[in-house]
Amino acid sequence: MLKGIGVSDGIGIGNALLIEEHSLEYTPKAVENTEAEINRFNEAVDTFCKNTKKQAEALKASAGEKEAEIMIGHISIVKDPYLLGEIEKLISKGQCAESAFESMCDTFISIFSSTDDEVTKQRAADVRDVKAEVLKILLGINDVKISKAPKKTILVAKELTPSMTAEINKENIVGIVTETGSNTSHSAILAKVLEIPAVMSVPGVMEQIKNGDTVIVDGNKGDVLSSPDKAQLESYTARSKQLLQERRELEKFRGKITVSGDGERFELVCNIGKPEDAAQALEFDGEGVGLFRTEFLFMDKTSVPSEEEQFKEYKKAALILKGKPLIIRTLDIGGDKDIPYLGLAKEENPFMGFRAIRYCLKNRELFKLQLRAILRASAFGNISIMFPLITCVEELRESKALVEEIKSELRSEKIDFDENIKTGIMVETAAAGVIADVLAKESDFFSIGTNDLTGYTMACDRGNSDVSYLYSALQPSVLRMIKRTIACGKKNNIPVGMCGEAAADPMMIPLLISFGLSEFSVSAPSVLKVRKCISNWSKQKADEVAEKVMSLDTKQDIYEYLKTVI
Amino acid sequence: MVSKSLTILNAQGFHMRPASVFAGAMAKYPCSVTIKFKGNNYDAKSTLNLIVACMKCGSEIELVCDGNQENEALAQGVQLIESGFGE
Repeated sequence: MLKGIGVSDGIGIGNALLIEEHSLEYTPKAVENTEAEINRFNEAVDTFCKNTKKQAEALKASAGEKEAEIMIGHISIVKDPYLLGEIEKLISKGQCAESAFESMCDTFISIFSSTDDEVTKQRAADVRDVKAEVLKILLGINDVKISKAPKKTILVAKELTPSMTAEINKENIVGIVTETGSNTSHSAILAKVLEIPAVMSVPGVMEQIKNGDTVIVDGNKGDVLSSPDKAQLESYTARSKQLLQERRELEKFRGKITVSGDGERFELVCNIGKPEDAAQALEFDGEGVGLFRTEFLFMDKTSVPSEEEQFKEYKKAALILKGKPLIIRTLDIGGDKDIPYLGLAKEENPFMGFRAIRYCLKNRELFKLQLRAILRASAFGNISIMFPLITCVEELRESKALVEEIKSELRSEKIDFDENIKTGIMVETAAAGVIADVLAKESDFFSIGTNDLTGYTMACDRGNSDVSYLYSALQPSVLRMIKRTIACGKKNNIPVGMCGEAAADPMMIPLLISFGLSEFSVSAPSVLKVRKCISNWSKQKADEVAEKVMSLDTKQDIYEYLKTVI
Repeated sequence: MVSKSLTILNAQGFHMRPASVFAGAMAKYPCSVTIKFKGNNYDAKSTLNLIVACMKCGSEIELVCDGNQENEALAQGVQLIESGFGE
């Protein structure tokens, strides 16, 4: 058995197709008609660009725009005016196109590889890829066509270049094994997007596997078996079936509403960080968005994005969701999220300091800009506004007053917005949990952020390994906080959601059902799992579990007990 | 000749996409466009040269345009860098 890094889950069983590296050797010859040679080179460049554009389009359709951009980058390498200029000079001096192009590429490969910058080093692989492709064209070499691979093919290669991955047809390729690469390499990300089991960084794989060999790729464990015996084949086939079965089992929940075993309806929505993620949320069958973090809009910028810029992004998300709920959280910076141009001072204790709503209420122009953009976008969908890190009711009142102020501005400017837009809060501080009864009277909804709520309630930094043992949403204190928050919301007839990781935790789900949570906001890939899990519980069964849990005194006891019931 | 000092602001610096976007935009102007960084000059119309420069988030550079339409080239170059390439 060969060992590597599993980079894309699932088990693939099929026949190996080795992508041999062609010998790109040639005998450099002196050129007399240099003009004709330059033309020959330019034609090869044109052919390369044409092929690459085609690949980019195919990739855009199968994997998305971002993946396609890397191919466009390859075109810009080969069309680089400096590179072309130098190559022309070399050919004019009598070098053949192959050697002129290769020597220039090699120069850049060695420069890129010798930097100590990881991102720049990766660019050497791009130049190598471009070099090989153009040389193949110049030398008239025909490649193994990955796009023409038969069904049940396991691709085996030294390195999977972007131009190779662009050719993958996911109907036929059932697994990928490479000698190089890791979790973060471009081909790994692509394998994940295409849902093809993949193992990378397998030393010597090209020598150990022959064309046509039966190969098993276990992307979960990072194992590769070539020419497996009967028993192995049987056990992996069974396991692969089981994984598929589980996936199919989940697929049954696609397109369904989210209900408990006894028919109570819940809302199951997603957490997103970019407007485009809204499309992903729908793809995974989310029923809307329960948390749109807006920080990304402000990061990697040199100044606060304009109202117009923000408006476009919020509107984009609203339009993608077509009337499904979209809860936009106002800027939550500070803590561990810094934005250089805002000039936040370094603090002794950033999590207790100047962050989120505290920053926004002190920097009203910035806050109003965002609120105006959100309100304008509300004319295009079902948008709600959520304020982060509320600790006292004044913060909520001030924020709501600003919303009203902007509403009247927009009215007088005759700009459309949703008059009935809802405003709610994140309950993520111990303070908010304790005064949830007060806050519920003035909020349209709550969303419990269990990650911060756990940290603030336990006064514990989960990144610090000396204290991280304390960090758990199953701590009796955190559970009481959650229970109380939901109860206060229910008493005031406002919906209470949860957007922390706990919302997707099978141990938490019965408790949340029992406490009366109405909305689960989870990462897109968890949607079907959570819907299935919710369907397993009736209110009565969940109540029994919750009652027992709330009678236990320690996190450990709670954990041990919950293990026995899920 | 016109020039301006700037700071690179997008998180990943001048990686593939910004470099090709920037070089592509600068190639449209007849003037020469040079980036001065750490005492070296880089031809800003060349994606490869820009990648070689290893400019990172926070790197301080000088953008120099010289020749026909130098003001237009500088203005667009500044806009691209200051907007962080829309990333």
